Parts: sequence; structure tokens; C-alpha cells
Amino acid sequence: MTTWDRSSGQSEADRFALAIDRVNPLSWLGRLSESRGWAWFLLLPTMVLLALIVVYPTIYGIALSFQDVRLLRPNAGGFVGLRHYQDMLDDPIFWLSLKNTVVWVVLACLLELGLGLASAMALDRALPGLKVATVLILLPWFLPKVVAGNMWALMLDSRLGVLNDILVRLGFLDQYKAWFADPSTALITAVVVESWHSFPFFTLLLIAALRGIPEEMHQAAAVDGATTVQRFWHITLPMLKVVIVAAVVLRVIGLVNSPDLLLILTSGGPGHATMVLSLYAFETAYRGFDFGYAGALAVVMLLLLMVFAWAYVRVSGVMARQ
Amino acid sequence: MIVGSRRSRQLTDVLTYAVVAFFLIFAIGPLVWLLLTSVKLESDIVTSEGVRYWPSAITFEHYRAIWAQTDFPTLFKNSAVTSSVTIVLCMVSGTFAAYAFSRERFQGRHTLLLGLLVVRMFPAVMMIIPLFIIMRSLGLLDSSAGLAIAYTSFLLPIFIWLLKGFFDNLPDDLEDAARIDGCTRLGALGRIVLPLVRNGLLATTVFVAINAWNEFLFALMLTTSAGSRTWPVGLQLMIGEFQLPWGMLSAGGILSIIPVVILFAIVQRSMVHGLTAGAVKG
Repeated sequence: MTTWDRSSGQSEADRFALAIDRVNPLSWLGRLSESRGWAWFLLLPTMVLLALIVVYPTIYGIALSFQDVRLLRPNAGGFVGLRHYQDMLDDPIFWLSLKNTVVWVVLACLLELGLGLASAMALDRALPGLKVATVLILLPWFLPKVVAGNMWALMLDSRLGVLNDILVRLGFLDQYKAWFADPSTALITAVVVESWHSFPFFTLLLIAALRGIPEEMHQAAAVDGATTVQRFWHITLPMLKVVIVAAVVLRVIGLVNSPDLLLILTSGGPGHATMVLSLYAFETAYRGFDFGYAGALAVVMLLLLMVFAWAYVRVSGVMARQ
Repeated sequence: MIVGSRRSRQLTDVLTYAVVAFFLIFAIGPLVWLLLTSVKLESDIVTSEGVRYWPSAITFEHYRAIWAQTDFPTLFKNSAVTSSVTIVLCMVSGTFAAYAFSRERFQGRHTLLLGLLVVRMFPAVMMIIPLFIIMRSLGLLDSSAGLAIAYTSFLLPIFIWLLKGFFDNLPDDLEDAARIDGCTRLGALGRIVLPLVRNGLLATTVFVAINAWNEFLFALMLTTSAGSRTWPVGLQLMIGEFQLPWGMLSAGGILSIIPVVILFAIVQRSMVHGLTAGAVKG
């Protein structure tokens, strides 16, 4: 509260108001909001919550990766040092998962970036109907993976899948194909489903970035005789660079960390053809209850991601401009 | 952004609509097929001679079946409870934090903001395992409250970042004006700032709600019984264990995305604005 109403000549009513103020919690908070630590009081609930549910579990999780923790063998326990990490080096599934993760992330990211760029460039134009179209095209990103995955499984079904039917009618296929049962097509098909779900993320960010490019740059280039293709390479892409780099980093993190869709579509099969690191770690924890090894796999994923993010931002030189 | 002669302009317009049409079919086509499958007779879905595209008759039998013969209503209720608790946790703590990050200049602000971003890098499994062990010892395992707390661990940072963007858009001297009129800082926040940012708060809340409603992985690990199981886990288990027929599966899928589509339709404008705020400034 301000101080001027506490001057010497207080009336009865003023003193009464002050007395009420003292017991009223809102007014107590109001006075608190004038103190120097106000920002920290605002942050306090979040800090306490995040310390309890993020910081503490994270430290706990990293500590687990150096222990033998199995839910079904309570007496396992104990510090095992780097044993899980050593085991990983001799684990063929780990190396296969790592390879699959790289394929999964690179292909999905490229496909999503391509789809996102094409859709954003089209939707960015000021033509009637495109606002509604934008909303509809963004929709998949907000849909649950459980529905997305099973919907595509329905369309790709080896007996009654509509996409199989269309591909056969168009002459691309001789007969219906079990896309997720064939090790040579399972991962790439899953990439298509993941891209369907998440390309709108790129669309969303790239539309916003395209709006930020001044119209005059294109006009000036056109006056200088630049073709549409030249303008795309020399104006649009460089102007989008920062947003593309940021979007790719966020998407790579998402693709590496969340095994949801592969868990729904294939559970890593057939064989281990679609086993990625995140799924391997989850299955190790969920089915094997080997929390120590699963934790170690997660720590390795985090380290790989941090190295990637650092190197990628470094190489693309985005930070240097700021 | 396209500059050129009238003819080439018309050509690019046609090309634009062609590209947009492709993306509309790509994005919405699967949903249309899901909807069609959900209202087809079983004999139209599983046919002896190839795929039947258009239903010979419309039936709501699959909707009735999934609602009456499975525990879908309970799953829905559990999901609604979990999402609501998540929203409350995020709003109660996150609104003040987002406001502080946007309007106050204090030491460590950048470090803390960056820290909220780094949380995104943590693999889900890395959070799930310790949360599973901690919640088991606290008796929070297999409860809606426990699951909501787990969701808050990754949704609260997103909530704060999004809402901070909306606070950033308000004019700088808003609080000063309110304080000259005798408001405390808390009064300025409650009476002036929050009412002005309500669209952003709504969009941010809906974004968190949709994410909580859709979440699958944490729910799979942290719920073990019908008492707290959410619909994504329940639906997936039905598919795996009972070989759920395609018609019922489609009906369940359509039912569960209805709330998402409605909420998205209501707040899409502010939500898109909030999600892209960082990119434009980028």
C-alpha cells in the first residue's frame, strides 16, 4: 500500500480501514507485491513445483542409471557404476536402435520440412478461402497419436486398407501389401504417418516467418530481373533460416524423445526393424522393468541430443547473428 | 510475394490452389475415412470383394457399442479429470510465473527461461521411471492426481512460455498507469492485466488441455487399473487385447477427437498467434 494515507491526521474511518487492511489477506498480498522480492514471490509456486516434479526426478533418474534397479527383483539393488553403459556397447539392439533412430529422425524431419515449406508458401498467399484451409491443414498436429496411428493402420490394412486399394487401382502395387509387417517398408511407412501428424508444426512456424519478409525485397528483386526460383533461393530461404533452424531443433528433440507412434503402430517390430532408442528404453522399463538399464539408455539419448543441438546451432551459425 | 505479369500471376494462383487442395486431401482425407468407417455397416467395412468406399447405409451402431459395451465412458471421465487437474496446476502456478518472466527484470531471468526450454530435451522415459518410483512410494501411482502431476512436469514449461508471449504483447506502461491510479502491483495484475490477456490465457489453457487429453506414454506407465486409466490407453489396450473391430475403433476415435476439434476451432486464432509469436520475433 502507499504511504500517504498513513499521515498524522487520520480520521476514525481511516484507522478503521487500516485495521481491516491488516487482517485482509488480499491487502497483505498487495503490500507484499510492493516489496523488492515480488518477482520471486510470483515464481515461488512454479519453482517449488518444478523442483519437485522435474529437477528431483531428473537427478533421481540419472542416479538410477548407475544402479541395478529391477522392479521384479527387489533385492537386485546397488551401485553398479558404469556397467549399464558398458553393457550398451555390447548390445546389438542398442546399435540397431541407434541406427533406426538416425534414419527415423532424418527422414521424418526432411519430409516434414518439405511438406511444411510447400504448404506454408501456398497458404501464405492472400487468396480467398486460404484462411479456412490453413485451419484445416493445421488440424492433424492437434490430434492424438493413438487415433492418428490406428487410423493409418486402418487405411493401410493388408485386407481392407483403402490406400492399398487406391495404389492397386493406380497401378503402383500388384496386390495389397502389409506395410508394417515387411521389415523393408515398416520404418518408412511409420515415417509417413509421423509426418502426416507433425508437418503442420513446420507449416505453422513457416507461415509466420514468411509474413515477416518485407514485400519490398521481392519487388526489388523482381525489378532486377530475378526469377521466381532465384528469389526463393536468395531471399525466401535465407530469411527463413533462423526459423527453420529453430523448428528443426525442436522437431528433432520431439522425434528422438517420443516413441508413441511407433509403440502404437509396430511396437518396434517386425524383428527390431522399427526399434528406436526411445522405444527401446520405454520397453525396457515398461515390459522388462529393468529401470537401471532403461535409465542409462535415456541418459545416452539426452547426451546425444545435447551434442546434436549444440553442433547444429553452431554449424548453422544462427547464434552468431544475435 | 509473387511479382510478375498478369498471366504468370494467374498461373501461380492456379498452382497455389492445386497445392492447397493436395494438402487438404492429405491432412483431412484420413479423418474423412475414419468418419465414414465409423458410420458404415460391418458388412460394408469387411467385404468379400475389395474396399467399399461409400456406405450403403448409415448406422450409429458402432458408437452405441463402444459407449455401452466397453468402459469408454469411464475412460472419458478419467481423461477429463486428469486434464482438468493438469489445467488447474498449470494455471495456478504458471500464470504468475509467466507474468514475472514477461514484466519483471530480475537476476537469473534468462537462465531460468532457458532452463524451461532445456526441460523439453529430457526423454520421456527419463522422467517416467523416477516419477513411477516416487509416485509408487507416495501412493500416487494409478491415480488421476498423480498422472496430472506427471503431465504438469512437461506441460507447465510450455504453458509458461506460451503465456509469456501473450503478456509480452501488452503495452509496457499498462501497470504504471494502474499504479498511478492507486493500484498495488497485485491489483494491477488482477484488475487490469489479466482481463486484457484472457484470450491468450484461454488459448494457452486449451493447448495444455489438448495435450493432456491426448497423452499416451505417461498414462500407459503410470496407470494400471480402470480407476484412473485414460482413453488413449484404454482404446489402445482394447485394440491389442480384444481385437476391437474397425467400426468400433473408428467410432471411439471420432468420439475422442470431438472435444479436441471443438476446442481448437474456438481458440485457433489466438492459439496460432501464441504458438508463432517466438518465430516472428526470431
